Amino acid sequence: MYTCAGCSCLCDDIEIETEKGDVKTVFNACRRGAGIFLNYRLSRAEPMVDGKSADFEQAIEKAQELIQSSEKLAIYGLDTTTLEVQELAIKLAEKKGAYIDDNSTFCLGDFVETILKGELPSTTLEEVKNNAYVITYWGSDAYHSLSRHMSRYTYYPRGGKRQRGYEEDRFLVVIDVRKTHTAKLAKKNARFLQIRDDLELIEAFNQALDGKAPSIFVNDIPRILKEMEKADFNVIFGGLGLKYGLKGNYDPFKNLMARLNERTGVYFIPAGCHPNMRGFNELMFEKTGEINRYSFREQRSSDEFAFHKLLENDAIDTAVIIGTDPLNSLPFEYAKKLAKINTIVIDPRETFTGRFAKVVLPSAIAGVETGGTMIRSDGVRVELKPLFEKEINDERILGRLLEVV
Amino acid sequence: MPITPMEIYKLLPKTNCKKCGEQTCMAFAFKVVNRDKQIEECTPLFEEEKYTKQKEQLLEMLEPLKEASETGLIVDESKCTGCANCIVVCPVHAAEDAYGSGSGFGPKIDDPIYRLENGVLKIINVQRCRRYGKNRILCVACRENCPSDAISFLEG
Repeated sequence: MYTCAGCSCLCDDIEIETEKGDVKTVFNACRRGAGIFLNYRLSRAEPMVDGKSADFEQAIEKAQELIQSSEKLAIYGLDTTTLEVQELAIKLAEKKGAYIDDNSTFCLGDFVETILKGELPSTTLEEVKNNAYVITYWGSDAYHSLSRHMSRYTYYPRGGKRQRGYEEDRFLVVIDVRKTHTAKLAKKNARFLQIRDDLELIEAFNQALDGKAPSIFVNDIPRILKEMEKADFNVIFGGLGLKYGLKGNYDPFKNLMARLNERTGVYFIPAGCHPNMRGFNELMFEKTGEINRYSFREQRSSDEFAFHKLLENDAIDTAVIIGTDPLNSLPFEYAKKLAKINTIVIDPRETFTGRFAKVVLPSAIAGVETGGTMIRSDGVRVELKPLFEKEINDERILGRLLEVV
Repeated sequence: MPITPMEIYKLLPKTNCKKCGEQTCMAFAFKVVNRDKQIEECTPLFEEEKYTKQKEQLLEMLEPLKEASETGLIVDESKCTGCANCIVVCPVHAAEDAYGSGSGFGPKIDDPIYRLENGVLKIINVQRCRRYGKNRILCVACRENCPSDAISFLEG
């Protein structure tokens, strides 16, 4: 049994058949997960210095040199690596007085923060499987972003108090701006609310809780509330649609959750994508009380320390990019500034950023070539077991980089 | 697209000649869809020249029948994302593999109907499906819960 580190579901029931040191068949993984195992040999990164191939020692020495001479260093990425690697990266940032940030800044970091601060009640996916009655996907197309989420943890499996299966023991609510594939699953004992504005829907829920007729979905919202009151355990999975729908103001949603919890039990779990994003957020929260965009020099977190803002303001001279591809994922106006600074890319695969980087250090794929621990979207720690052990991994590279600070 | 008996009936001779052993052409059309009878058993269609055009259309229409498994199940792997909804909802899996696929995990029995292999759905033991054999139940649980329409049945 292996753990797939493809998304934040971290499915730990993957079976793999190998033949002569290669993966032959992957069982139980979704298409994305299987791809990681099957194609682990493809488009691998090579050690590079200034765009030319070099040997690993040369590359690491150059990286050490760049870090040593850097005055304003930023570390970015880390969401696809293990907790052990993240700890080393945070240590490097702390010793160097650097900025550190990950993708949670524009992903679901804000929700993780509210949960860690205890402002939203949360639970684990195992509890959801055993107890949850009303399951709401709000602004999240789980069928595509977290393929096995519904079949493995939430709507479909039978368990604990919910033995009769999805048709009788679950009530599915999908809230989205368009009819997504997940919304197509809302058939019997289910509701699909196609909304224009999240705040409008929150307002409508509040009206219904006040005993008035809601302004939209006049029949559906009272029915959902009635179903929620039938059980004392309901759950809302919030995705990026909800985050961006709230436009940075989380109070209306927190108030709604508090009001719902006066009547019945409603829990919240972020439905995010990156495998170990929550791990980084939790480590940072333990250490600093903040979850991301942190400056160790100034000992505080701020919007201006988000990686794209640092690039925009020309605030850094060197960036260590671990396991992500900002040139590919960030808007070009920010990403193009990467060309002006020294970039050290640590990634198992060839990336677009790697082509323009000063130094490329190839590492190992978490869950395939290196083990460790990751934190699932609900805060449960999951162990990863390597399929093939690779000598050079993120831990070793960061260990070497730490030697010079 | 699923094939309906009516579409087949429209192209049959509609003479109710009973040469195939059925009382009516409509009954024969039903049996062809369920694959109890072969289209070749309608002898006038193949022997009489006036039906040539209809015969060609029919043979073309029935082409997908050959790809389907014994229960009329067709899995389009190019559409499958490997969400495993079908595996978990399957009533046979729930009954016989309660702690495996019934609880959301990968199958723990040796002979599941479905299994995810390399990220897509594969049919392994179609004979365990409730739709298999004479006393079948026309269960559509897996198709109903496949949002990308990767699973379809011949009869619609």
